[in-house]
Amino acid sequence: MTTFLDNIFNGLALGAVYALVALGFVIIFKASGVMNFAHGSLLLLGGYLTAVFHDDLGFAGALAVAVLVTAAVAGAMDRFLLHAGGTDPHTAHVQTIVTIGVDIVILTDLSRRIGGDLLSLGDPWGDSVSGLGPVTVADSRIAAIVVSTVVIAGVFALFRYTSWGLSLRASAEDVEAAALMGVRLVRIRTLAWCLAGALAALAAVFLAAFPAPGLERTTGQIALKAFPAAILGGMASPPGALAGSLLIGLTEALVAGYQSDLHILGEGFGDVAPYAVMVLVLLVRPTGLFGGKAAVRV
Amino acid sequence: MKSSHHTHHTPRAMRTTSLLAAAVAALLLAGTGCSSKADSSGSAGEGADGVKTGPGVTDKTIKLGALTDLTGPYATLGKSIVQAQQMWADEVNARGGICDRRVEIVVKDHGYDVQKAVTAYADISSDVVALPQVIGSPVMAALLDDIERDKVLTFPQAWAASLLDRDSVQVLGTTYDIDMIAAVDFLTRTKGLDKGDTIGHVYFEGDYGANALEGSKWAAKKAGLKVAGQKIKATDTDLSAQVSALRKEGVKAILISAGPAQTASLVGVAASRGLKVPVVSSAPGYAPQLMKTPAAPALAALLNVVSAAPAVSSDLAGVRKMVASYKKKYPGSLIDSGVLSGYNAAQLMGTDLKRACENGSLAREDVVKAHRSQSNVDVGLGTAQNFSDKAQPANTSTYVHKPDAKAVGAAVNVEDAHTAPGVKEYLASRTS
Amino acid sequence: MSERLSRARAVRLGWTFAAVVVLCALPFYLDAFWLRIGLFSMAAAVGAVGLGLLSGTAGQLSLGHAFFLAVGAYGYVWLAGEPGPGLPTALAAVLAVLLAGVAGGLFSPVAGRVRGVYLGVATLALVFLGHHVLLTADSVTGGFNGRSVPPLEVGGFSFSADSELSLLGVPFGAEERLWYLGLALFAITWFTARGLLRGRPGRALVALRDSETAAAVMGVDVSRYRSAAFVVSSMYAGLAGVMLALAFRRVVPDYFGLVLSVDYLAMIVIGGLGSVAGATAGAVFVTALPLLMTRYADQLPLVAAPGTTDGAVGPTEAARYLYGAAIVLILLFAPDGLHGLVRRLRARLRSRRTAPPPADAASPSQPPASAVRAKEPTP
Repeated sequence: MTTFLDNIFNGLALGAVYALVALGFVIIFKASGVMNFAHGSLLLLGGYLTAVFHDDLGFAGALAVAVLVTAAVAGAMDRFLLHAGGTDPHTAHVQTIVTIGVDIVILTDLSRRIGGDLLSLGDPWGDSVSGLGPVTVADSRIAAIVVSTVVIAGVFALFRYTSWGLSLRASAEDVEAAALMGVRLVRIRTLAWCLAGALAALAAVFLAAFPAPGLERTTGQIALKAFPAAILGGMASPPGALAGSLLIGLTEALVAGYQSDLHILGEGFGDVAPYAVMVLVLLVRPTGLFGGKAAVRV
Repeated sequence: MKSSHHTHHTPRAMRTTSLLAAAVAALLLAGTGCSSKADSSGSAGEGADGVKTGPGVTDKTIKLGALTDLTGPYATLGKSIVQAQQMWADEVNARGGICDRRVEIVVKDHGYDVQKAVTAYADISSDVVALPQVIGSPVMAALLDDIERDKVLTFPQAWAASLLDRDSVQVLGTTYDIDMIAAVDFLTRTKGLDKGDTIGHVYFEGDYGANALEGSKWAAKKAGLKVAGQKIKATDTDLSAQVSALRKEGVKAILISAGPAQTASLVGVAASRGLKVPVVSSAPGYAPQLMKTPAAPALAALLNVVSAAPAVSSDLAGVRKMVASYKKKYPGSLIDSGVLSGYNAAQLMGTDLKRACENGSLAREDVVKAHRSQSNVDVGLGTAQNFSDKAQPANTSTYVHKPDAKAVGAAVNVEDAHTAPGVKEYLASRTS
Repeated sequence: MSERLSRARAVRLGWTFAAVVVLCALPFYLDAFWLRIGLFSMAAAVGAVGLGLLSGTAGQLSLGHAFFLAVGAYGYVWLAGEPGPGLPTALAAVLAVLLAGVAGGLFSPVAGRVRGVYLGVATLALVFLGHHVLLTADSVTGGFNGRSVPPLEVGGFSFSADSELSLLGVPFGAEERLWYLGLALFAITWFTARGLLRGRPGRALVALRDSETAAAVMGVDVSRYRSAAFVVSSMYAGLAGVMLALAFRRVVPDYFGLVLSVDYLAMIVIGGLGSVAGATAGAVFVTALPLLMTRYADQLPLVAAPGTTDGAVGPTEAARYLYGAAIVLILLFAPDGLHGLVRRLRARLRSRRTAPPPADAASPSQPPASAVRAKEPTP
């Protein structure tokens, strides 16, 4: 039973962090139709900046700088590199490939700077743990769940109650109609990218904190796990991203936790299990759990 | 599908096509007359000093190749090895070179990309006599057949038993399975493990992990222990789920054959969850950088490392001399096990080349022959190597280290080199 | 009018002739390094043409191309090798291509239902699950270390360096022989794909991409065409896989990962969607450029030799920077890819040559840059 609770908690904590990344994906996709392949390097950038500045500015100061800079970089990327084809949704696939180019450049540079080091982000939790009933949980994980919940709730509120959120949702529904109604598409889009960048920088803190040993050059690859999470929930649905992330986190933790009982699937299945779950879900619901049926226009 | 294109071809078009083909052939015949590739019947020959030469060897130079990773996941290891081997080449050249020829190392960085590595090999293979460094198991796997065919003596920086039994490829020191047999022996001998106990083994997917697991399973069976395996990927750096699973199995000790980040996470999580059991890692699972992470106290308390090489902080005269010159040549560079391993490989390559020179030929196949004729080479950096049986590891004895933040390379020797009981039996059982 | 047409045709024939001569003569001059880059490029071109049909023409985003390449490569190795049925290698190559097609067909329940970015990530799952299988099914795939590739033999002629062969004084090793095989297979790909695009299937796929509903109204069997596009694209991928296996001489699972899939997607977009020539250009760009840059980057200023100094930019890093920047710049200035770039340059040259612009040159036949999806598939 303890093991089961352990696994459940591991899964939830993992899922909460994936949710920050997946939410960024979804916001970008909703705003611009682009699949952001550079999300992993944005995440790494946020983590790296926190690691570099925490000695001088303290953890909170460094994190604030990292979040702001990463948001600015993401916004600049959208403004200067992705607007070449205008906001025409038909150019989204070209912009998707541009993000690959940007990813290569940022990742190369950060890898060169990080080298083989394991950078500490100076987070306040260290390796302390707390007992919750029968299970022992790392404080950083509790923090991850709390912070993710608060931030995600905040993003939902932004979506629902601000004019930006309304415009974003309107333009995601129908670009032309939104433009006719006076929605300033470019600004909406760039703000969405900034928000996604900020979320990625925040996620980096929890991905590099204990139980992980620190920030590595490969930390950004975790963004790949957010792909199935975002898809599972439905690419256009932020609540879906949350649900999908939790499902992916739980699947991964449970399959890894019970690896010895799942021999038939081959060892190490935990890492690919999220994808298997995703394909099964898509077979039943082709637009994800929370994705609505797309209206057909002729 | 194809016919749809050809149906509207008129006889005239067909005539043009055949004319085209004839013209192509004619042009080819004319053009290749001046091809530089024609009648270059290999560079095999005899030097002015009577030593037979081959690819990579001239009267003045001996060229060695390194297919390394300076920009990928093993960048730290790659850098240490490249610098250590360059240091060796400079030292050798200062003493007049080998066989009166200067030694040059051609370094190619593949960044752990198989396609880049294969292309880089095609690029340098005709210009080098041997490869004292190849990093990356998938790279090595992709090149195995080519290396065998070209008879390029190669020292991979990987220690899987699957690399044994090839004439031109030499695994230096012990293989991963032997290290893990020694690890199990260390646990039962010093940590009080007993019959019926369970040990966990966390291992990477791929050759490294599989080979290590083979060793631990064999040794555990002999000792009456059970092994609970946990396979992970290189991208897993949070091992909470694995620790939960191992705790459920009630393990009394844990073996880990992964990377440094995984070792740090495993030991840190286990300690924080009260699973305070001894942990023994394979050599690639530890790096000095770990002692700067929050997991450092737990690592110092729980971890040991099994390795075919001594710790860089060892008292061996050869190792101390190497550390001193490395510090002088590359001030500020970290001294880790990669430095020792690269320097050791280069030294051994040097003795092979010298032997080949004495035998009168630096042609590739003769370098391999010279290499296989050496059964007891000791370059003063650990234990002696025996290269005469390609099916067996070059050595069977291992050291045990433990982390120490203050020591050079952040590790110190705990046990000196010795062959664990059972290793001989294991090797015999494997070859039969 | 007909005279102008035939002159244009003669010019085109001349160019084709020159290209064929150059391509056929190259093995007599280039060394193994260049030939290998050529082989990788040709294989990539075949795969990219297949993906171009699926994603560019039919509009189905696929990130699973690496999986179908792996099916082709491993299929060939298993069918022709030991352990395995040990079939004649030529037969094994054909069957491997068919096998990749079957794999594509098996995925059609998903391909038929799931669309757009969902399909993209669903196919991504194929890559991860496939990689897992490649690692675990040791007896077929050889596990982590992969398997050696048996050299192809057609009618007693072996595409390997096993038998001595020298033509006009030039020793013909595996690379030289495979070069001609690669050229032949690429030519087949080129003509079949162009045939498909210009024929009824191509038009149906374009209609499908632009509007499924409209296509269905016009009588296109939507789900059948969607699945068929997947099968055909997978077969091209399978062929590319066989070619890659022959060029590598050993197949390892780690090569067939996500990066490879993303590379193929980059190829068709950089080349320009919806055209065979574009896919080819993109394939050469994405395959050869990083390899060449890595090889020659140390000639650049400010780039240090590998492993010499601390903190300096090494050749591999310099190559990565340049490659990433090249992708961004090309698509920034030519969102319709290399193919569109060439087409616009050509149109500009032509309009400059015929000084007072005649009506047909002044209104270029291609849509403006923003409408990347060309309405008519052009070669």
